[in-house]
Amino acid sequence: MIFDAFLALFDIWVVLAMLVGIVIGVIIGAIPGLGPSMAIALLIPVAFSMAPIAAMLLLLGVYQGAIFGGSISAILLNVPGTPSAAATALDGFPMAQKGEAGRALRIALFASVFGNVFSCLVLLALAEPLASVALDFGPAEMAVLILFALLVIVLLGGDSKLDALIMVLVGVCAGVVGLDPIDGSPRFTFGSFDMESGFALVPVLIGLFALSEVLMQAAAPRRNDTAEMAELRPSTLGWAEMWRMRVTLAISSAIGTFIGILPGIGSTIPAFMSYGLARSRSANPAAFGQGTDEGVAAPEAANNAVTGGALVPMLSLGIPGDAVTAVILGAFMLHGLAPGPFLFRNHGTEVYAIIEALLLASIPTILIGLGLFKVAVHVIRIQPRHLFPVIAIMAVFGAFSVNNSLFDVWVMLGAGVLGFVLRRAGFPLPPLLIGLILGGALEQAMRQALLTSGGRLGIFVGSPIAIGFVALSVLFTLGVLVLPLIRKGRA
Amino acid sequence: MIKTINHTLVGAALACAMTLAGQSATAEGYPDRTITIVVPYGAGGTTDVSARQIAQMAEAKLGTSIVVENRPGGSGTNAMRAVAEAAPDGYTLIASTSSPTFVTPALRPVGYDTLTDFIPLLNYSGPYHGVVVPGDSPLNSFDDLLATASGGKTLTYGTAGAMGGAHLAFAAMAGETGAALQHVPFEGSAAATAAVLGHHVDIALVPAYRDLVQDGQLKILAVLDGTRDPDFPDAPTLKDTGHDQEFPSIVGLFAPAGTDPAIVAKLSDTFTEVAASTEFKDFMTKLNQPVRLMSGEELAATIAENLETYRAVAAQMGLSK
Repeated sequence: MIFDAFLALFDIWVVLAMLVGIVIGVIIGAIPGLGPSMAIALLIPVAFSMAPIAAMLLLLGVYQGAIFGGSISAILLNVPGTPSAAATALDGFPMAQKGEAGRALRIALFASVFGNVFSCLVLLALAEPLASVALDFGPAEMAVLILFALLVIVLLGGDSKLDALIMVLVGVCAGVVGLDPIDGSPRFTFGSFDMESGFALVPVLIGLFALSEVLMQAAAPRRNDTAEMAELRPSTLGWAEMWRMRVTLAISSAIGTFIGILPGIGSTIPAFMSYGLARSRSANPAAFGQGTDEGVAAPEAANNAVTGGALVPMLSLGIPGDAVTAVILGAFMLHGLAPGPFLFRNHGTEVYAIIEALLLASIPTILIGLGLFKVAVHVIRIQPRHLFPVIAIMAVFGAFSVNNSLFDVWVMLGAGVLGFVLRRAGFPLPPLLIGLILGGALEQAMRQALLTSGGRLGIFVGSPIAIGFVALSVLFTLGVLVLPLIRKGRA
Repeated sequence: MIKTINHTLVGAALACAMTLAGQSATAEGYPDRTITIVVPYGAGGTTDVSARQIAQMAEAKLGTSIVVENRPGGSGTNAMRAVAEAAPDGYTLIASTSSPTFVTPALRPVGYDTLTDFIPLLNYSGPYHGVVVPGDSPLNSFDDLLATASGGKTLTYGTAGAMGGAHLAFAAMAGETGAALQHVPFEGSAAATAAVLGHHVDIALVPAYRDLVQDGQLKILAVLDGTRDPDFPDAPTLKDTGHDQEFPSIVGLFAPAGTDPAIVAKLSDTFTEVAASTEFKDFMTKLNQPVRLMSGEELAATIAENLETYRAVAAQMGLSK
């Protein structure tokens, strides 16, 4: 069946659909605010009139392309196109400022492809057993996992743990606004209907990262632009350098795949977790944030590996892991490929063809990526006075287009000013984003767990998975906080 | 047969409307530009996809293009509020569901009144919500469930979210019978389905259960709708089990109040004809969604009845403001 599936790919329309999907995805992903879910939704009517395999590859190509595309603008402009690319900007942008934009983009590209291939192989081999692992993660397990993720990001993410903690708490507080997830009552909405949905992630992201960058540039002392423009150095990236990062790539891809399998967390968290872990494993953690190879590779491998992971529960149970797979699930159904327990049995050839095509999509992704870089690196030669007004306008459009809501534009502007003030004060912004994403999820998971246990806290150590993550969190905290003290004591 | 009856009814309604409204200037030549159907949820969901299909099929019959616009947010109330304020000229319609039409408005101020701000055109779908338990659950029937929950053991049930119709109907039923049923809201029905499959909750009240039940991973004990799911005729409705509660699932088209009756008649006539076609039925079957036709008047009556029921339920639970 796997071979039949392979043969099904030798169709000009299948190849064309995949190429078009990747190109659209990369472009959409690079533009802040235009996420993959919007692009996929717009393409659904087109995909409906196509043959099933070609249609799915068009949509999945967009999904993969967009996650990678988000990192292009993150590296070149410090403006992440998608939330998950915010981690890539941490080291990608400093590298570009040093004139090594081409190198950063290549690392991002190869790491993305690695993450994608890794997760697709996992999907191909282990879809069904892994789906049952996903089901073992109930509210209590999710709560301790989220706590662990928060600890990893706060303790390993950057220089000052206190700064990171403060920013996480600001994000968590912002996440409280809106309808209470358990009893549905409005919190801090001040009677405004718009605020009932809370602060949407994408407008906050655009404001924090894109608009604040514009404001930073506007407030920066006027400089002699052309003279300071970084020299574009020819990029050199050998296989040996990628090979040196093999452990980082494998760990990051495993994190991305695993988190992707669990519904509702998305690709931003694994990207930051991988970044933190790569930093803690590094012999030279101080180089992180200054433009180090692994700082770009780790988050890129992780956020691309999420794709394959998110398809595991969608294909085998019909349960989508995130907003994008939910849309793709709809497209599967329209083609009569109802995801769920019968999918592999009734439509095995189509499903294997789709997974194999996702693997093979790496080849065109690399070719398209390398071709695109030749053009894209010149973006940093554009004069700031031309570039940043364009980014400001795009930020407004991007924020509006998420929900066609003017309220989101105000949220974006507010987040932009806040981001500007915080950056000027020297606070890191990524933990704020993490707090916003995970705060609500943590609250919901904890309260759900307590509802199912009748209020008993024992549920958080009530299963092997939960105990494992609690133990990891404790060891981790002790390790990070106590080890340096011991070393100091000895010295 | 049903089609002819519908035609006669709609024809009669049209005739009545024409005499009542007289010769309306706005109705003449309608439609002469693009019609927008607002979908209160994100693109790609079942409400969106079915609305796009019905819109595409109606385009040819109305002789104009129809654009579907997604306005997600506020569990659908944002879009409802926007359409309630839109010009009642027949060029802005909304494809809406149970939650923003009669569930949320019964709980808190939403800024519109479904009954006075909208004219229902027709109902065309509505996924059945099942009471499902894991395949290896000791509960084998709805009576089992109630007996267990009344015998000193608390059972937990997951739903797609706090204060949804499924939650309220079940909570009211639990309140009447005194059964110990603890609600656990999840983020969407997919998450609730995953939770019941993983045995983190005892019961889930979710749509889209067909394949998982047929595979034996889930068992269906009852449906929350007023009628039985034709795929599982053995699963009783709550009313069949002797409890006067239901969560009727609707998906229908609405125009803002004040729309010319002739335009309303034309729209409901056209969309009913499209929704009754085999082509639409085939499409919805692929999407794992039922086609459930109701006239605008029936839909209005269903909404009015349920608004009242849900207000009473909310008051009983001490929720309403």
